[in-house]
Amino acid sequence: MSSLFDLPFEEPEQEQGKAEALPHVSLVPTAHVPPAPVTAPRRSLGEGGRRLLTVSQLTGEIRVLLEEQFVETWVEGEISNCRLWNTGHLYFTLKDATAQIKAVMFRSALRYLKFKPQDGLRVVARGRVSVYDPKGEYQIVCEHLEPEGLGALQLAFEQLKARLVQEGLFDERRKRALPALPRKIGVVTSLDGAAIRDIINVLRRRYPNAHIVIRPTRVQGEGAAIDIARAMTAIGKVPGVDVVIVGRGGGSIEDLWAFNEEVVARAIAGCPVPTISAVGHESDVTIADFVADLRAATPSAAAEMVVSRKDDFYTRIDRLEHRAETAMAARAHRLEARLRSLEARPGFGGFRAHVALRGRHASELTHELRRAVRERLAVRERRAQSLRRTLDTFDLRRRLGAIGARLVGADGRLGAALGRQRHTAEARFHGAAARLESLSPMAVLGRGYAVCWNADRTAIIRDAAAVRSGERVKVTLERGELDCEVYGPDH
Amino acid sequence: MDPTIKDFEAAIAELEAIVKKLEEGDLALETSLQLYERGVTLSRFCHARLEEAERRIEIVNERGELKPAPATLGTDKDDSA
Repeated sequence: MSSLFDLPFEEPEQEQGKAEALPHVSLVPTAHVPPAPVTAPRRSLGEGGRRLLTVSQLTGEIRVLLEEQFVETWVEGEISNCRLWNTGHLYFTLKDATAQIKAVMFRSALRYLKFKPQDGLRVVARGRVSVYDPKGEYQIVCEHLEPEGLGALQLAFEQLKARLVQEGLFDERRKRALPALPRKIGVVTSLDGAAIRDIINVLRRRYPNAHIVIRPTRVQGEGAAIDIARAMTAIGKVPGVDVVIVGRGGGSIEDLWAFNEEVVARAIAGCPVPTISAVGHESDVTIADFVADLRAATPSAAAEMVVSRKDDFYTRIDRLEHRAETAMAARAHRLEARLRSLEARPGFGGFRAHVALRGRHASELTHELRRAVRERLAVRERRAQSLRRTLDTFDLRRRLGAIGARLVGADGRLGAALGRQRHTAEARFHGAAARLESLSPMAVLGRGYAVCWNADRTAIIRDAAAVRSGERVKVTLERGELDCEVYGPDH
Repeated sequence: MDPTIKDFEAAIAELEAIVKKLEEGDLALETSLQLYERGVTLSRFCHARLEEAERRIEIVNERGELKPAPATLGTDKDDSA
């Protein structure tokens, strides 16, 4: 038997040593040819009882020998010259310090390999030896590879991680922020596991009106990875879903393995909306965790990440309202101060005299006062509107439970304070404006009144009876004048 | 809802910008009142959106159709528990 083994393994040495120039066939001594497994027909016999073989016959015999002998063979060695062909088959060389053997792993077997064979990796290969006739080469056809040292899964994890890192799939820049307020929360997990119940419970507790959309998927076992990837694609298409939690409860590394598969990683990366991964427990870190926009230690934690935002926003909106109202109150203060200084202006009382005596100066003052009157009117109108709206807002807030109650308390105090300030300013405006109106006809026009003149603009018309239908009149507005014709009343 | 408000996030962002402007305080009275009014509108929008989502659990099936989740998944029981 040993001679049979020797043949293929010694052959390369012979080639290297002395066989370069010689015809290949002549190297094979007749004595070494085993009598038993001969399949090719003998075409001729040489003189002296020597069997003369064709190259094909010899190769065929070698093939039969090798393939029958090395059916299920285990061999350890280091991978080199590793090439993945377009056909999906992997070609490489297994070597140790003194020898090497060509190896191939077909796509069908490669599919089941978790890790990617690469140069320099020490492996134990299981396979059969085969001979490729056209080239006179023998090789080991690997059914399975097992890395030495690290377990296959660990190695696969590290390899995929390194590859995706290099692709930039884990980059912080890719990470999207969660929506401020999710419309629909997508969940990709198994309906049978604890994860879905944990997620629903947390969401319902912290966000009672949550709208949850679940895309059930297998999360472990053969085909689970593809299933999860499909589920990610499907959930991303549901209108309104704007954040997706993907994960499962705790388990062994094998149970969680689907979340370390490339297809899942790519599906998560390709999800059109932000994703939160929640796989296993705190200590379980999967590829999915690196790819997702956010990693949650557990499914419950993922749910908390979504809904804690709601609390945040109530607080945030409340603070903004508070600040806006404070700013407006400050504004009212400043208005009041300005009004006071206006009233305190020397000559305010004798304004009419200024108008008469110093035309130009008076017109400037008139302009300023007119503006003050307009502002006063605007303030009164807006105040009415904002009070109405504030009331509406209070109505809404009553629905907000505990948080709402706190808000209303704060707002109520502010609102009251703001109201008082506005009221004081308002009263002062009112007094000042009343006086201004009596002083300046222009100010009256500014409030929307108009003056109606006869056609010659020699007399102001105070009585409808003073004009007839068809008569022309002029109407002075704050800005500009109108030419009008009277249509009525008829008397 | 108000067509001038894109979404919740935009509303919050705009509200923040408005409050900053109001706090800077050197705006014309008319402008600041308009801003304040807009701020109230935005704030109402946000409150409404916070309460708007429907309390519902749905399942997407293989054909991409949305179905109500089985009652066993609902949490009415859990709420009272």
